[in-house]
Amino acid sequence: MSAKGIRGNPELRRGLGSKTTDREKIMEDGPAGDWLALRSDQLLNWIDDAVYNASEATGMREVVDRVTRPIFNFAQRFSPHPLHFGIMCCAIEMGQASAPDHDIDRLGLVYRSSPRQCDVLIVNGPVCEKLRPKLKTLYEQMPEPKWVIAMGECAISGGPYWDSYSVVAGADTFMPVDVYIPGCPVRPEALMHGFLTLQKKIREKEPGMFLRRD
Amino acid sequence: MAEMWISMGPQHPMTHGLWTLKVKVDGETIVDADPELGYLHRSVEKMGERRKYFMNTTLTDRLCYASSTTWTHSYVLAVEELMEVEVPTRAQYIRTIMLELQRLASHLMWAGAYMPDLGHITGALYFWRDRELFLNLLELPSGSRLLYNYMRIGGVKRDLPDGFEQKTERILKLFEQRLDEYADLFENSKIFRMRTEDVGKFTGTQAMNMGITGPNLRGCGVKHDLRVEDTYEIYEEIDWDICTREAGPGYSDCFSRYMVRIDEMKESVRIIRDCFKKMPQGPTMSSRVPVRASGEAFRRTEDSRGEALMYLVGDGSDRPYRWKIKSPMFTTISACPHYLKGYKLADIPAIMGSIDICIGETDK
Amino acid sequence: MNFKDLQKELKAIKGVSNLSLIRQNVIKIDLEKSVSKAFFTKLKEDFYFEHCSLITAVDNQPDFELVYHLSCLSGELTVDDTKMSAMIEVHIHLKRDSPSIDSVSDLWFGANWHEREAFDLMGIYFVGHPDLRRVLLPEGFAGHPLRKDYVYEIHEEEW
Repeated sequence: MSAKGIRGNPELRRGLGSKTTDREKIMEDGPAGDWLALRSDQLLNWIDDAVYNASEATGMREVVDRVTRPIFNFAQRFSPHPLHFGIMCCAIEMGQASAPDHDIDRLGLVYRSSPRQCDVLIVNGPVCEKLRPKLKTLYEQMPEPKWVIAMGECAISGGPYWDSYSVVAGADTFMPVDVYIPGCPVRPEALMHGFLTLQKKIREKEPGMFLRRD
Repeated sequence: MAEMWISMGPQHPMTHGLWTLKVKVDGETIVDADPELGYLHRSVEKMGERRKYFMNTTLTDRLCYASSTTWTHSYVLAVEELMEVEVPTRAQYIRTIMLELQRLASHLMWAGAYMPDLGHITGALYFWRDRELFLNLLELPSGSRLLYNYMRIGGVKRDLPDGFEQKTERILKLFEQRLDEYADLFENSKIFRMRTEDVGKFTGTQAMNMGITGPNLRGCGVKHDLRVEDTYEIYEEIDWDICTREAGPGYSDCFSRYMVRIDEMKESVRIIRDCFKKMPQGPTMSSRVPVRASGEAFRRTEDSRGEALMYLVGDGSDRPYRWKIKSPMFTTISACPHYLKGYKLADIPAIMGSIDICIGETDK
Repeated sequence: MNFKDLQKELKAIKGVSNLSLIRQNVIKIDLEKSVSKAFFTKLKEDFYFEHCSLITAVDNQPDFELVYHLSCLSGELTVDDTKMSAMIEVHIHLKRDSPSIDSVSDLWFGANWHEREAFDLMGIYFVGHPDLRRVLLPEGFAGHPLRKDYVYEIHEEEW
């Protein structure tokens, strides 16, 4: 955004008939918040420019990636943080998987209630028209890297609700899905298998330290 | 102090499902609330009009994920009323056993979900562990863990497997011992009682007017249970009592609603034992089940959460012309401004958890 | 009050027709739309129906029908010598071009959302309702899906 756009018309701002003072000349740079602070897009530009491009040019990126890749990858695949978010029947089985009988925590899962702290979104039920924008928001609130698991028939294709007027035909119609777990409802064992599959997928993808945002 | 609206949900640990609670707070005190539903509206009623009568049990199973059999049973009862089908006595006994096992599983799930709301993670693990016992038990005759599709129009899918009675008895005995342990852990715990007592109060008269039924109403001391008052299956012949509790004269709080459910679990154990004692031999499926129906019929049953009502209109074809589902939670959630007002923001999980929300049946 | 006395009193009320007993504890009646509010007030105040179980809207093509299920939970109404709770089923017919009726949500708070749902899914207008918005479907949804003439797209063949 250009500085002029923010300032607007200086004539109108000053008011008619008033003279320009030195103080107002300084203020023409815009409100202090604009040029004093480092905005998030400026920070990202700086990271792109100084860190990413420079390390690419000098060959540092390859070195750092090679050093950090195994340990980052281990950390990512061994402690997925799914969002504590229940839609329908499969959510009950998701909870039951955390119960002492199945104890899914031994795969390293930690359920978090805020999307800001998560990297796995489990879509465990039918996505209705009213829910879709909210689910999309939840997905966008999660930081990179992130994965989506479509748990159960409803999330895969609409399932038993294929002829409903309000259910979306699968979560993959509006967000990328990494792992599909069939079942109606999915048993806790199947959920475990789904997470193992996801971990395998993360291992094969091998992201390093330099994640591109695009 | 300035008033403001706070929005909770649809993704919030308090909601136990998909709904939004907007509360208006004055400082920390709630002055108004506005619940919003519809995030799980799957249009079951409209879909049911496109399916044949016997196909709809798949949908009713998925109505309420916490107690699926009771909802299928409610639908099946209404269809039997519409088609005038006689159910064999043994099937009625098996149905009652399944219903009570489901009630146990549902109440255990509620308790397991309620405890983390109060900051008691151990309670959640204990109750979910016990729920697993009953899921395994329900899996034996039906073949599925969560959604059974066991109730059929005119009877049940198949007879109970061999040794079911012994296995049930073993688990019930274990469960009774554990309930006594939990009494020490929860009812006699000072922290638990401080969190739940004198919170979320409403009187029985208010509750009836607001459409609150089931354990929430019995927590006010109102002796109302559709298993007796609109009796179905063989609840008349079984030896059991209606459980009521009250926090004070004619009103309930979170603790009395908790205690009603614990009492109901004990009562369910008694019903199951009595059913096994009195169960006769015989067929489990009616010999003649029609496909088409006309006229209209409704049945109400006592779901784990309150009064479930299924209203069916048939037009002589093999599909229902109109199918209406009454969910007890629909009206209970709508009344939440009444029983949230005046309490603190931190009491919301304790109050909303204590009424046992299941959004699946609410949104239909 | 006994259930038999209730039937006698109901028969005497103007606007009530076709009284029948569909089960031991359930009365079914037809009611004229114009007297609905006064009749429901009487039901609640004099006949102890303090709980509104359900309000159903049925699309009878072409006309609409509203079905009210009201019940007595407190045991003031006795059904013979049993412990059963009494229930009444009220049918009201509405014209398709003017699907509106007086709201009963000021009598029973539990009727509030049932009326909102009937408005949302069937398009019945409740006059005097405090907050008649859509409850299940998102704001801005076109049409009332439970009407029989509501068309939506399904690609598969019907089975």
